[in-house]
Amino acid sequence: MSGFQFFFEGKTIAAREGQSVAAALIAAGERCLRVDEAGLPKGAVCGIGVCWECRCSIDGSADIRACMTLARPGMNVRRQQGLDPCSDQ
Amino acid sequence: MQRSIVVVGAGPAGLAAATEAATRGAHVTLLDEAARPGGQIYRQAHSALGDSEYAEAGERARKHDILARFQSVASRVDYRPDANVYALFGNGELHVAYGAGSEVLRPDAIVLATGVREMAIPFPGWTTPGVMFAGGAQAVLKSQRVLPGKRAVIAGCGPLPIVVAAQLLRAGGDVAALASLRPLREMLGNPRALWQGRQIVYEGLRYLRTIRRAGVAQLSAHVPIRAIGTERLEAVVLARVDAGGHVVPGAEREIACDLLAVNYGFAANSELAAMAGAELRFDADRGGWLPASDEFGRTSISGLFVAGDVAAVRGALVAEAEGQIVGAAAAVPPKSIGDATMTAALRTALGRRQRHQAFQTAVRTTLRVPRGLWNLTTDDTVVCRCENVKLRDIRSALDAGHSSLNAVKRNVRSGMGWCGGRTCLRAVAALSELHAGIAPPVIMTPRPMVRPITFGAVVAQKKAVDA
Repeated sequence: MSGFQFFFEGKTIAAREGQSVAAALIAAGERCLRVDEAGLPKGAVCGIGVCWECRCSIDGSADIRACMTLARPGMNVRRQQGLDPCSDQ
Repeated sequence: MQRSIVVVGAGPAGLAAATEAATRGAHVTLLDEAARPGGQIYRQAHSALGDSEYAEAGERARKHDILARFQSVASRVDYRPDANVYALFGNGELHVAYGAGSEVLRPDAIVLATGVREMAIPFPGWTTPGVMFAGGAQAVLKSQRVLPGKRAVIAGCGPLPIVVAAQLLRAGGDVAALASLRPLREMLGNPRALWQGRQIVYEGLRYLRTIRRAGVAQLSAHVPIRAIGTERLEAVVLARVDAGGHVVPGAEREIACDLLAVNYGFAANSELAAMAGAELRFDADRGGWLPASDEFGRTSISGLFVAGDVAAVRGALVAEAEGQIVGAAAAVPPKSIGDATMTAALRTALGRRQRHQAFQTAVRTTLRVPRGLWNLTTDDTVVCRCENVKLRDIRSALDAGHSSLNAVKRNVRSGMGWCGGRTCLRAVAALSELHAGIAPPVIMTPRPMVRPITFGAVVAQKKAVDA
């Protein structure tokens, strides 16, 4: 699975085996990975799992750090909005 | 009887400590939160992504050597990646989660080699997507082979912004400007230090050559004062600052970019030592709250050792030498530390640590943040990103007489969110000092969990093991 695709907000994102979700999203030009409780758009900041700003909903599980999670074919990644965990998948 | 040792962290200090202790016959468990050993500086990409590197040859060789030495004893080390140490108590109980489960370890000795994280100075717009820590941007590049931005502004102090700018260029990125808090000559102005640190200085000069050849605008005594953009970063405003860190009016310039990579030094990951009750000292230039330790890494708590940057920020070369020294000390009964552990190799490690440390001491001012720079944080600036606590909120708590970090936290929630204060704690402390004269502040009481784990992982805890 050296090259594959997953989904972010319904869009198709290209990824390579071994890449994190955050890295693949950044490579695809996505910067806003979450909208926080105050309505502020948030993206990756520390890149190493410290700040939790890049947390997303992945395959129905909320609050998964995109920078610490390997991208997998067919993953469904959602942008969390405030306290809505996007667990509708 | 074989001694059991748990090393927390698989960066240069932790790898060297684990290697040395295992070589001396101890039963070593090495816990690390990453998927592969190396820590932040020697971070390894996934094998499927290949090993092209943008670092200097010297650094690549050091990475190769320390990983190879660890591999040579790896069959005798219980190495556990993806391990999240979330609590450490004064009785020597260490709590660790692995995904959906957790465990309590109670070894004869614990070596904390937990390193550092980047320290933030909040400024208007810094929550905009596209503003990253410089090391964070570098991590995206070196472990993911992805350019963290198309057009970058790199800023801050110390060596990291220089390294990141050069590596981005080597990877094909566009660097619009490199803004340095201090003039470079300050870093290069001490001949004796230059000689002691010649290895690092040489690599630094090579990075600078990459930057110069690319024609990158280099602005010294400039810092980012504002990030522009809402959904994503569009531009950064840089301004000149004086020696006290105060912005010089009228010297602003706006630069279009989609990445701002900024580093103002580091904060030690000392929460576990603090939770265990180890005595701390405060050194703003060297990581903030640091566990007090002696030449063998012994803290005030029997059996608890620290090695590398968590003991004081001094870089990877000191960390590796110190890891070896501390690993040797942890591997023997407490009364034997000293002459009994002193092999020829260890004497060499002591000398190496002393030499690299002398260089780090000479250049430590390059990581010093002048007090006035904290004025970049305006009343409307978010300080605690997790809980959206602005400076205004923190000042109102201070004005109401809440004079400790614990009290500020209880009143306005700074440090109560997902990151546990690891991103903002130093900023809250520095801003409390600037605006209310509280100095040096006592650390916010670290409590379990020092990092988030699932409730299920605690429930699924194995019983305490005498490792």
